[in-house]
Amino acid sequence: MSSAFTEIGRALPRKEDRRLVTGRGRYLDDLAVPGALHVSFVRSPHAHARILGIDSAEASEMPGVVGIFTGRDLDQLTTRLRIAPPIEGLQPTELTTLPIEKVRFHGDPVACVVATDRYLAEDAAECVTVEYDQLPAVTSIAQALAPDAVLVDETLSSNMVSHQSLCVGDPAARRAEAHRVIEARFALHRHTHVPLETRGCLADWDDGRAHLNMHIGNQVPHPLRSQLAKRLGLSESQVTVISPDVGGAFGQKIALYREELTVAALSRHLRRPLRWREDRMENLMAAAHAREYECRTRTSVSETGRILGLELELDEDFGSYCFFPANYMARVIALIMTGPYRIQDYAYEVRVALTNKCGAGPMRAPMAVTSWVMEGTIDAIARELGLDPIEVRRINALGPEDLPYKMPTGELLEDVTPRETLETAVAAIDVAAFRERQAQALCEGRYLGLGLCTVIESTTYGSEFYKSAGIPGSGHEAAWVRIEPSGAVNASVGLMGTGQGYESPLAQAVAEGLGVRSEDVTVHMGNTDVAPYGMGSRGGRGATAGGGTLYLCGLKARERVLVIAASMLDLNGAGELRMRAGQIERMIDDNWQETGLTLADVARRAYLDPLALPEGIAPGLDFSHSYDPPAMTYSNSTHACEVEVDPRTGAISIDRYLVAEDCGTVLNPIVVRGQQQGAIAMGLSGALLEQVVYDGSGQNLSATLADYLVASPNELPEFEILHHHTPNRRTPAGIKGMAEGGVMGAIGVIANAVSDALAPRGVTIERLPLTPQSIRALLREAAPSPKKRTQP
Amino acid sequence: MNASTHEPLTLSLSVNGETHDLQVPARKLLSDVLREDLGLTGTHVGCEHGVCGACTVLIDGRPARACLTFAAQMEGHEVTTIEAVGRPDALSALQQALHEEHGLQCGFCTAGIVMTFEHYLRENPTPTASEVRDVLSGNLCRCTGYQNIVAAVLKAAARMRGESV
Repeated sequence: MSSAFTEIGRALPRKEDRRLVTGRGRYLDDLAVPGALHVSFVRSPHAHARILGIDSAEASEMPGVVGIFTGRDLDQLTTRLRIAPPIEGLQPTELTTLPIEKVRFHGDPVACVVATDRYLAEDAAECVTVEYDQLPAVTSIAQALAPDAVLVDETLSSNMVSHQSLCVGDPAARRAEAHRVIEARFALHRHTHVPLETRGCLADWDDGRAHLNMHIGNQVPHPLRSQLAKRLGLSESQVTVISPDVGGAFGQKIALYREELTVAALSRHLRRPLRWREDRMENLMAAAHAREYECRTRTSVSETGRILGLELELDEDFGSYCFFPANYMARVIALIMTGPYRIQDYAYEVRVALTNKCGAGPMRAPMAVTSWVMEGTIDAIARELGLDPIEVRRINALGPEDLPYKMPTGELLEDVTPRETLETAVAAIDVAAFRERQAQALCEGRYLGLGLCTVIESTTYGSEFYKSAGIPGSGHEAAWVRIEPSGAVNASVGLMGTGQGYESPLAQAVAEGLGVRSEDVTVHMGNTDVAPYGMGSRGGRGATAGGGTLYLCGLKARERVLVIAASMLDLNGAGELRMRAGQIERMIDDNWQETGLTLADVARRAYLDPLALPEGIAPGLDFSHSYDPPAMTYSNSTHACEVEVDPRTGAISIDRYLVAEDCGTVLNPIVVRGQQQGAIAMGLSGALLEQVVYDGSGQNLSATLADYLVASPNELPEFEILHHHTPNRRTPAGIKGMAEGGVMGAIGVIANAVSDALAPRGVTIERLPLTPQSIRALLREAAPSPKKRTQP
Repeated sequence: MNASTHEPLTLSLSVNGETHDLQVPARKLLSDVLREDLGLTGTHVGCEHGVCGACTVLIDGRPARACLTFAAQMEGHEVTTIEAVGRPDALSALQQALHEEHGLQCGFCTAGIVMTFEHYLRENPTPTASEVRDVLSGNLCRCTGYQNIVAAVLKAAARMRGESV
C-alpha cells in the first residue's frame, strides 16, 4: 500500500467501542420518549387469502387500546408504493401500505393495534378477528411460472414480474464448435438477514411544527426521508430521519417497510409518539428474505478446459411484494457472472417470479450466488474433462496482460488481480500435500475435500451504473468538513453505519485529506438535519463513496487552511506549506520544519478575526463536497477451504479456511479484517445451516432462532487472510470497497470443497444448504461406498 | 388471559447492589423491567425466546436469560447487568480486550457476551480456545464470525492471570 499516507491505513481501534462494550450504546429501544404509544401488528396466518372482514370491536375495548387501523385506514393516510422504472421486461407494481383486498404471505400485516404498552397491544392484536377466504398458494418458481398459475399480484399479466435476456458474441456457434458442452445446476435457498437488533422505529410527530421526527435504525437516512415524505404527502422539510446506533442490518434496513410507514402515519394521525419493535418471529417471517435462486449454466469448452462460451439461465423467487425493482438483484448476478475469467461469448436469461412468500430484498452480497455458479461451473468442467480444477482456473483467469478487461456485458475490470490471488491461495494451501492427505484419508474411509473460489466483487455503484440499469437514482455521496473556532474538526457524510465501525476509518479519510490526527476528527452520521444528502450505506460503497468523498472534502479544507496560514506567515503562497497532525509545516532547505502555527490558530483567525483574512477569503472554515464514483469499482479474492465430511452423519468440519483478498487501499486494517471475517462467517452460516422453510401450503416453518439456525462459534473455523493491495487508479486514494466478497467466496468455496470430498461417491453439490440431513440424503441416493475401488 | 397477569405486583428488586421497590405486572419480563422501569438499557433483547443470548445478565452471579425470566421471580435474588461492569473510561479486562482485538461490530450482542464471560473467567481462569468457543456458543453474533471474540477472551484471561499480553 502507498506509504505516502499517514492516516489512511493506520490500525486505529474503533471509536465506538467504549460505549458499546459497556452497554452505553444508544439503540432505538434505548431512546426514552414519555407517553409513547406502542404498536403491534395483526398478521396473516395464511399464505394467500382474500380478506373478507376485520372485526376489531372486542379488541378495541381492551385495556390500554387507543386504536386499531386497517389497510383501508392507511390508504387514506398514505400514498401507495408504485415501482415502475422504464425497464424492458419489468412489470410495474403498486402496493398499498397495508393489504386491503388480500394477503399474499404468511405474516403479511393486516391490521395495526395501538395501545399504551406493548404487552397490551399484543393482547389486543390476538383478539382482532379477520375473516379470510383462502386461495391456493404459489410456493415455488415452477408453480409460479406454470401456465395456469394463480396470480400472486392480480394486476400483473403473470407471476413473471421480470424477464430479461442478453446475448453477446455467438454462444450458439461456440457450442457447435466446442469439444464438449458442459451443463451444471445450482440452487441457492432462501435466506434472511437476522440482524441481532430487529426492525423498529419511533415516530414522533411534532404537531405544532407539523414535523415528523423518525427515529429508525436505517442504512440510507436520506433516501428513506425522501420516501417517507412522499408517502405521507409531506415535504422533505417536514421529515427528519435520525438513525441511532444500529444492531446490524446487512441490507434489511434499506427499504421503507410497510410497518414503519404505518407507525409514522399513525403518529401524525394520533398526534402522539408511537413506537414499534418487531419481535424475532416477525423478523424471521415478515421483514425481508433473500437469495432464492435456481441457476443453470451451459459451457462450451475446448479439450484443455478453455471456456469458449457461457450460457446462463437464472430464476429468482422474489416472494410476494416488490420493495425494489424485481430485476434489481438478479441483474447484477448476470452482469458480473463471467467475473475473473476471459469469456466473450455469453448469453443470459433471467426470470424473476412472484410467489406467496415474504418479499425479497438485498442481503449482504445480493449477488452472492454468482461466485458459486461460476466456480462450480469451472469445477464441473474439470470433473467432466478429467482436468485439474486449478489448471482450468489458470487457463481461463484474467492476468495483468488482459487488463483493463471489458466483460461481455460491458462491465470494465481494471486494477484487479484474480490470477494473482489464485496463485497466492494455491501456494498457501500446498495442494500437492493436501491431495496426498486426501488419498490417504480415503483409504481409511474418510472424505477430505479442497475447494477454491475466485471472486470478482462489485463494490461501488456510481450514478452511471444506475443510469445504464434504468433505475432512477444516484450513486454519488456527499460530505461536509467543518473546522470549529477552537480547531476541533467535525465532519459528516450521508452514509449510516449499522455496526461496520465507520467512525475510525471515515475519520482517517478526513484526517488524511486535511492533515490532522484521526483521533481529532469526529464524524457525525445518521441525522438528516445534520448529514448532507448522500445515498447511504449499501453494497460495498462505504469506503469508496463515503471515505472518498470525505477525503476529497478534507483536501478542499486543507487548501483553504494553508492559504490562510500562508498569509499569517507573511508568505506569498501556500505552495511550500503542508499540515501534519494539525501543525503547519514549511519546506525549508528540502526539510519540513514546524512553523509553530497550528490549525487552531488558523481557525481562530478564520472565525474570530475575519478582517485579517486574505482578500477574497470568506470567514469561517466550512466545506462541503460531493463525489460520484466510477460506474463500478471491483475488488477480488480467492478463497480456499479444506473440509472433512463424515459420511455416517453428514456432518461437515472445516479444517482450514483462507482467503487471498485484494480490496485496494485500506482505510483501516482492523475494520477491514473484521469485515472480511464477518462476511465469510455469514456466507458459511448461510451455506451450512440457515434456511427459510415454507411448506407446500406456504406456512413458514422457520420462524424462531431454534429453527432458522445461525452459526455459533462451534461451526466456524479461524480465517487466514492473505493481503494484496492494488489501488484503484480512478478513485480517491485508490479505495475500492469491500465487505461482501467474503459472502460470495464462502458460499462457493464450501460447496466446491464438499463436492471434492464426495467425488469418490459420485456426489456433486447442486443445492444448498449443506445440512447433515441433505448430505446424508445425497449419500443414500449415490453410489455405494467405494471400498472396492483401487486407491491411487 | 387472566387479569392477574397484568395487575401490578409490588416487588423489591436488587440490581447491581441497589434495591428498587417497583410495581410491575406479574407477566413482565426481567429484560423489560430492567430496560423500561430501571432505565438499564445495556441489556439488549434480541429474540425473546432464549436463543440469542443478547439479554444475558447474572442472577446470583450466574449467567441467565433476562428474556426468559419474570421480574417477579427475582425477589430475594441479586441481579447484575452490564452497567455494573466497567465504564467507558474504565473498561474491564474483557471489555478492553474486546476493544483491542476488534471483538465486536454492531455491539448489540456484546453486553450478553461480557456477562457470560464475567462469570466464566472467574471460575475458569485458564480456558483453551475450544472451551471459549463452546461457552460462547450460547451467544449469537451476526457480525464478527467470533474469531476476534475468542482472541479477546483468551487475552483477557491471560491478563486476569497477571500475564502481560
